[in-house]
Amino acid sequence: MGKAALLRFTVGGIEVALDPVVAGVGFGVTVALALLLLWVRRGLPRDPEAPPSRRAVAVAWITELFQNQVLGGVSPELAHRLFPLVAALFLYVLLCNWAGLLPFVVSPTQNVNVTLGLALLVYGLTHVYGVRAKGVRGHLKGYLEPFPFLLPLNVIGDLGRTLSHGFRLFGNILGGTLLVAVVGGLFAPLVVPAALNLWFGLFMGLIQALVFTLLAVAYIRATAE
Amino acid sequence: MDPQALVAAAKYLAAGICMGIGAIGPGVGEGIIGAHALDAMARQPEMANTLLRTMVIADAIAETTGIYSLVVALVLLFVV
Repeated sequence: MGKAALLRFTVGGIEVALDPVVAGVGFGVTVALALLLLWVRRGLPRDPEAPPSRRAVAVAWITELFQNQVLGGVSPELAHRLFPLVAALFLYVLLCNWAGLLPFVVSPTQNVNVTLGLALLVYGLTHVYGVRAKGVRGHLKGYLEPFPFLLPLNVIGDLGRTLSHGFRLFGNILGGTLLVAVVGGLFAPLVVPAALNLWFGLFMGLIQALVFTLLAVAYIRATAE
Repeated sequence: MDPQALVAAAKYLAAGICMGIGAIGPGVGEGIIGAHALDAMARQPEMANTLLRTMVIADAIAETTGIYSLVVALVLLFVV
């Protein structure tokens, strides 16, 4: 733990240090997302009667595609409430994955704390949406199904699900980065790491961001519907 | 023999075995999922979108044990 840290404190004997690289890139991704959304917002016409601009049509197409792919099976009112959250989660994870493609930048998602934090966020939200949809009693009753004696198994399943949700993103991104580094370092040609980066960086980054959001939607659906 | 070198050798060997055996299950599982999804898509092409979404989720779940073995291998290599 001798590394540089922005912030260092101990909780119950465990030292917590805020890694400046992860925090910086994560914050940079947030700023980039905000700028992207402002740029998109500026392209939308103010007057609803006006013919749609090219940017508005493109945004509508992407939004609809995303809604159909990710929120396709969800009931319309829940989909309406989930869309901003899920879109933000997807864009954040996607940009975090793709940030690793930039030279000298490390993906925040290859730090296990970031991905587990996101998974815990989703875990908390499953309870929020579950309580909202069924009330506290109805939500807690879900843990006694199908049989009351399966309660410990349901709780363990919840925790394991959250752990694997976080570790999946972390393992995939870190594994891809390590593989590119090993191939680039051992065999050192320029072309092979570039092709591998295309696959592991661009394609796997997109797929893993999609998987992360799809699973988040599936978990929230399981408690809220 | 130097015990330090023995520990290092065991570490690398364990990480390799862990990743190699751990990759078998997810590989077979994802193959089965992909094959059945293709079967279903060929039978009902109009369901392809729904099937693709379900297939990706199922792939992700089948992959979990592989990711666990990757994490264990990384812990063996860098932490132990």
